[in-house]
Amino acid sequence: MLSFRAIKGLLPALLGVVFFLLMGAASLAALLRYSDISSWSEYLYEPYLWRVVRFSLWQALLSSGVSLLIAIPVASCLIHRQFRGRAILLQLFAVSMVVPTIVAILGLVVVYGRTGWLSQIFGLQIPLYGLVGILLAHVFFNMPLAVRLLLQGYDLIPSGQWRQASQLGFSRWSAFRLIEWHYMKKVLPGAFVLIFMLCFSSFAVVLSLGGGPKSSTLEVAIYQALRFDFDLNKASFLSLLQVTICTLFAVVVYRIAPINQQDVSVLAVKSYPVKDSFLAKGADCMALLCVLVLVIPPFLAIFDPIFSPLFLTTLLSSGLWQAVLVSLKIALPAAIISLSLGVCFVVLARFCMTRQYLSVLPSKLEHLGNMILMVPGLVIATGLFLWLRDLGWGFQSSYWIVVWVNAVMALPFVLRALMPVLYQQERRFRNLYLSLGIQSWSRWCLEWPLIRASVAQAFGYALLLSLGDMGVIALFGSQGLVSLPLYLFQLIGSYRLEEGACVAVVLISLCLILFYCSSRLIGGKTVSGKMTGGNFHVNH
Amino acid sequence: MKKLSFSTLLTTSLMTLSATLGVAFSSATLAAETLNVYTYDAFASDWGPGPKIKANFEKECGCELNFVALDSSVGILSRAQFEGKSSQADVLLGLDLNLMEAAKKSGLLAEHNVNTSAVTIAGGWKDKVFVPFDQGNFAFIYNSETLKNPPTSLKEIVDNQNLRVIYQDPRTSTPGLGLLLWVKSVYGDGAADAWGRLASHTVTVTKSWSDAYGLFLKGEADVVLSYTTSPAYHIVAEGVTKYKAAQASEGLYPQIEVAAMMKSAPNPELAKRFMQFILQPGFQSTVATGNWMLPVVKLNEALPAAFDSALQPTKVLTLPASDVAKNRKAWVNEWLNATTR
Repeated sequence: MLSFRAIKGLLPALLGVVFFLLMGAASLAALLRYSDISSWSEYLYEPYLWRVVRFSLWQALLSSGVSLLIAIPVASCLIHRQFRGRAILLQLFAVSMVVPTIVAILGLVVVYGRTGWLSQIFGLQIPLYGLVGILLAHVFFNMPLAVRLLLQGYDLIPSGQWRQASQLGFSRWSAFRLIEWHYMKKVLPGAFVLIFMLCFSSFAVVLSLGGGPKSSTLEVAIYQALRFDFDLNKASFLSLLQVTICTLFAVVVYRIAPINQQDVSVLAVKSYPVKDSFLAKGADCMALLCVLVLVIPPFLAIFDPIFSPLFLTTLLSSGLWQAVLVSLKIALPAAIISLSLGVCFVVLARFCMTRQYLSVLPSKLEHLGNMILMVPGLVIATGLFLWLRDLGWGFQSSYWIVVWVNAVMALPFVLRALMPVLYQQERRFRNLYLSLGIQSWSRWCLEWPLIRASVAQAFGYALLLSLGDMGVIALFGSQGLVSLPLYLFQLIGSYRLEEGACVAVVLISLCLILFYCSSRLIGGKTVSGKMTGGNFHVNH
Repeated sequence: MKKLSFSTLLTTSLMTLSATLGVAFSSATLAAETLNVYTYDAFASDWGPGPKIKANFEKECGCELNFVALDSSVGILSRAQFEGKSSQADVLLGLDLNLMEAAKKSGLLAEHNVNTSAVTIAGGWKDKVFVPFDQGNFAFIYNSETLKNPPTSLKEIVDNQNLRVIYQDPRTSTPGLGLLLWVKSVYGDGAADAWGRLASHTVTVTKSWSDAYGLFLKGEADVVLSYTTSPAYHIVAEGVTKYKAAQASEGLYPQIEVAAMMKSAPNPELAKRFMQFILQPGFQSTVATGNWMLPVVKLNEALPAAFDSALQPTKVLTLPASDVAKNRKAWVNEWLNATTR
């Protein structure tokens, strides 16, 4: 039975989770109070709405499909070939996932835009604004993510299979067909769902590259309903629709292929060479070329302005440093809150893990944390704002709302970084701790050296996500509350790309510095600031 | 030693941290005597009338005038609605005639008590909530050096498939809304088809006037929706005469931009003074060469000569305000459905 002492120790964690739930409920309740559900049926007759839904689905399907299609040959190539720059490329893949969305968008505009590099050098005009631009941006973000997810799948291939393939003289194609595909199949559905969700609810990309009402997604429609019509009724309806579609999609795919890769055990896989051929070389070159064309130029474009005289003048503008300060004021508290929430969740989950009658709870808790991926952040924020506004704290609350929503949005990623390692601790040492009577604080002290690396990673993720957020701030940003991404968005909006590029460099540098500091300070000396964890992504 | 759990420690440290960060963006940082005016970006920008008006008003009120620039004109109202009673806005400046009814319905606006008898707008000005601050006519602007056969009617702009057009989104921008009504008044029930024909040669639909005009100046389009007075800007400020407004034989659609004060204005006294100030020379004299629109009262000094050469409408089209208020959503939906097919 539960002892009173155990409950007392759990109290803070319980409070944290309950607070999280209450805030969510309050925001939903506030929205519903302002909406008139009986009028929702008339929205269903708007052809434009269904066009938006269709476009959202279509671009998400295309984006995730293209990302995975490119990722498969690239992953295979990275496994079989050792070449100069391979390590750098893998690092770049890791980094491209934590590049703030708005920065990548700027890079794409500089490369593919109307006056971009492509049109200057080759005279090529790509219609960037619309589906093409959205696809380019989504593939830029998600193809590296897909590659990393697939590589995790490769890690599960036992050395013996490679050895046999090598002895039997398999060609690359047979090796792919008989070995690799078998393991890829396990990873693909999960990767597909994750990338689909991220693209389906993508906001900043569509807002910047959508180019008018033709290519609009549900998330952008929600933003417009709030920002320009102040139509809470419509916004609630649209967000409910979005959550429904996301849930349905996830349920369908998970039905087809159940996923359980909480803790991928990375064995030291020794790989053996399979027979190389001219064809295989050609295919690998093609795959790499694809990557080089898609991923490298936007990065170069972002760092291009360092050598321009404009860079210094931009650095001297007060607006930039104001934005840096605001960004820090948002990101640091958000990351701390996110980490605290994550710890509350994990403590509660692992407490339930070892008790038979509560054993269903941990996965439920995890799902609860992940639910946030489906709910539009704008909607949580708006609900909270209305609620606080009615309590009379309207104007002062917007800053805290941005912080809170950023913290909550980062929660799934924090949980992903924390859960495996804390579960592991519980499984290994629980009985030892119990027998020695070590509890709460003293136990944390003992565990700290073992978990600090993961905590640092979780904190770093939350920090970078909040730093790069372009969702909630787009709605709440006003004078005195302009974060770096919003500042950048405004510059891109007024076509001041050169200046924007300088701001982007500052933003990226800030991200790198903060990530490095957090991994050194929290993670200790053992962790170099490597961004690991293939299931991490910034694309809200 | 009292046993502390890790999470309690976290929460307490969090509290202290947030306290030390001491974030107070809002009212605390604003001095008591500050007037907040919500307006659209082009109005408040360095090259807009904002800075001059700020200087002129501050001279006589001994206060600080703070423009809060928003990225779209329609967004001014929704922002105030979003903030509700907690809004720090004293005055909303930059809505137009077609949004007045909707804005009054929000219940956020106060009566101004300004004497508007001096207003020179045709038919005078009777409204108790709004004060007009400038006027103009919508027109498509083209570059006469690159476009040899400029359109002479709205129908030509809609039907000429070789013409690259940029206009503003009627959901976010008052010029966009103006075009919506212009098309409606010319085409009536055939508006949806007209939008469909226009969509096939539209480069993009932008969020605000400044986005659209910026793209046009970069050479992205042959014509852009703006005002008959826009060429005057190029003549006066840049000495460039190549930009011209296209005539429309069906008639032009006028715009009157308006301002109103908030019921919940933190500084009602200053807000009232500013509403009075809108019709005085200190404000009106900046309109022509700052916002490139026509003033709404008679001024002592004449406008620059460039304004005399501005296109005069052959006919002025207007739809009744009540119709606009009643049908705006439906017409916007009609536009959406026609242009996204």
